[in-house]
Amino acid sequence: MGRTDRKQKMLLLGSAVFFCVVVVATLIFKGSTGFQWIMSGLTVGSIYALIAMGFSVIYSSTHVINFAQGEFSMLGGMLMYTLSTRGGVPPLLGFLLAVLMVTALGAGLERATIHPLRDQSVITVIIVTIGISIFLRALAKWIWGTDPVKIASFSGDSPVRFLGAAVVPQSFWVFGFAILAVILVFLFFNRTLMGKGMRAAANNADAASLVGISTSTSSLVAWTIASGLGAAAGIVIAPISFASYSVGTMLGLKGFSSAILGGLGSAPGAVVGGLVLGVLETITAGVFPSGYKDAVAFLILILVLLVRPQGLLGKPEDVKV
Amino acid sequence: MDRKLEKGRSSGRGDYRTLLIVAAFIFLVPAWSRMIPGEVLHMDIVNVMVFAGIYACVVIGLNLLVGYGGQISLGHAAFFGIGAYTTAILCTRFAWFPTWLGALSGVLLAGLIGWLVGVPVLRLKGNYLAMATLGLGEIAFILFTQLKGLTGGTIGIPQGLNVSVSEIPPLSVFGFKFDSDIKFFFLAWAIVMLLMLLNINIIRSRVGRGLRALHSSEIAADAMGVNTSRYKTQVFVLSAMFAALGGALFAHFQRYINPESFVFSVSILFITMVVVGGMGNLWGGIVGVIVLTFLPSVIQAMPQWIPGIPASLTNFSNYSLVLYGLLLIVFMMFMPQGIAAGLSRASAFTGRRAKRLRDRIQARKYEGH
Repeated sequence: MGRTDRKQKMLLLGSAVFFCVVVVATLIFKGSTGFQWIMSGLTVGSIYALIAMGFSVIYSSTHVINFAQGEFSMLGGMLMYTLSTRGGVPPLLGFLLAVLMVTALGAGLERATIHPLRDQSVITVIIVTIGISIFLRALAKWIWGTDPVKIASFSGDSPVRFLGAAVVPQSFWVFGFAILAVILVFLFFNRTLMGKGMRAAANNADAASLVGISTSTSSLVAWTIASGLGAAAGIVIAPISFASYSVGTMLGLKGFSSAILGGLGSAPGAVVGGLVLGVLETITAGVFPSGYKDAVAFLILILVLLVRPQGLLGKPEDVKV
Repeated sequence: MDRKLEKGRSSGRGDYRTLLIVAAFIFLVPAWSRMIPGEVLHMDIVNVMVFAGIYACVVIGLNLLVGYGGQISLGHAAFFGIGAYTTAILCTRFAWFPTWLGALSGVLLAGLIGWLVGVPVLRLKGNYLAMATLGLGEIAFILFTQLKGLTGGTIGIPQGLNVSVSEIPPLSVFGFKFDSDIKFFFLAWAIVMLLMLLNINIIRSRVGRGLRALHSSEIAADAMGVNTSRYKTQVFVLSAMFAALGGALFAHFQRYINPESFVFSVSILFITMVVVGGMGNLWGGIVGVIVLTFLPSVIQAMPQWIPGIPASLTNFSNYSLVLYGLLLIVFMMFMPQGIAAGLSRASAFTGRRAKRLRDRIQARKYEGH
């Protein structure tokens, strides 16, 4: 119980600090390019946060880094393109359908490939997720081709003036969905029996299975949640950045860097890590030639692993034989 | 105890014997492949084998890392590229620059970069290296395409650069130029055999024993005083240097390079070669390399062998990644020991079968009496 308290305190503290930084930055930069950067940084940061939460949920329950995480976002975006841009389905219905389809795929993949390997070494399972990742990517290339596709925004493209900055309306959809997803995940892990059981299993799998928590079910639920989060992230960001078969790798790498920055396995950490990485990246893109923007995530990954491997909000890993 | 020692020694000698057999088999490839007429073969076996030898350098090191270090690298195409670009840049900028020194510089630079990435990442338990190297691979690719003044951008070396030479010079040692397929074939595979010899000795050394202990239980190995993170880092650096050596050979054989040869899917190809051949199997790397390097040529030659196969099927690059992904999943799920282990099991199986058959014939003979 003590750890939960501390974690919630950390969550409150983390978000409080972050909001202070944002508010101060808003007051200082109000209406300037700097504020513009922060707004677009927070938009992509929310996406990274959702993907990072996907990584964390699967890592907590199985200690596997899921290399297919980014591909769920890619699939979400591409399915949205087929449903809404090509098929004429209204955006919100398309969103729901696409998330459902990717979630079903994630759960199915877990049962078909990860579940049979539950007694194998972690490295075996990781190689399988790498296989899944490139298989999905190549399949998407086959189905949708290589050209990036444009997906219509949920509510128009004319920018809104917000505190002096021009913000595309889709950004607010991104914020809305990200906050909703974070609340849902938080409620699941803190208010439902299943979620609490999964947290127990993440803490000590053997003890949890002794008291009747099924590790096999937690793995299935973790993959379901992670694929759903990934798909939602991929769909809401698609109207801002183009969708294509190849976006999964980069989104996955950014999401993973965010998870490491915040602390792998910590949900609040994933949120903070994602937002910080998003802002840093946008600022870098503003200051340096944009070709180097993608290098930021990697530099942060290496620096965090060097200086503070447990991440901003994580706890040092226990060593068990 | 004595017998165990004896057994260990004799199995080691077995590895050296297998190395001799494999070497003899491979170095005879040009001889027998010349005997088959080109109209039947539809591929240049020696040329494909040169590329297999080049990739084998990378995959032998990667297999050491995956199979013995228990770590995955998704960025070995970056080290392969660093080896290729370093020597290509040095040898085209400065016409006097000895090619072997260019290759050596590439190997050392890759080792240094591998060390810089490996030290912070491999200090930790867990599989962070896979993501870190994935990032490294992306960064290296960005640099290969963006640093136009140095690397010639997407056009590559030497066409994308403002240099006097029209191609990367062939590798030459003491004035002997490796400038034909057949010369390069012997060079590349001689290097592969040397790396295999080194590999066998590493596995049998203190480091190898430490790595094996680490593979079965890292924490137990730690507790027994094995410096696990140092061993992992050493193996990672070594595998980066092997990869760069392969890259340098690649640049001097192909005579031109561009970033296309060092994309993410090449890193995946290397991992697939390790998995298909057999992770942690001494011969797995070579088996995987030969199978997967010949695959595209075999598929391309298919319509000539069997009439009626649609031409669309022969465009291997269309579906290479789907295939690699499936191979990774299927092998890990159903054949985690790879083809090499399957081969040795099959030979043991047929050996047993043959013995049983002999016994039965023998028994029948007695019955007849």
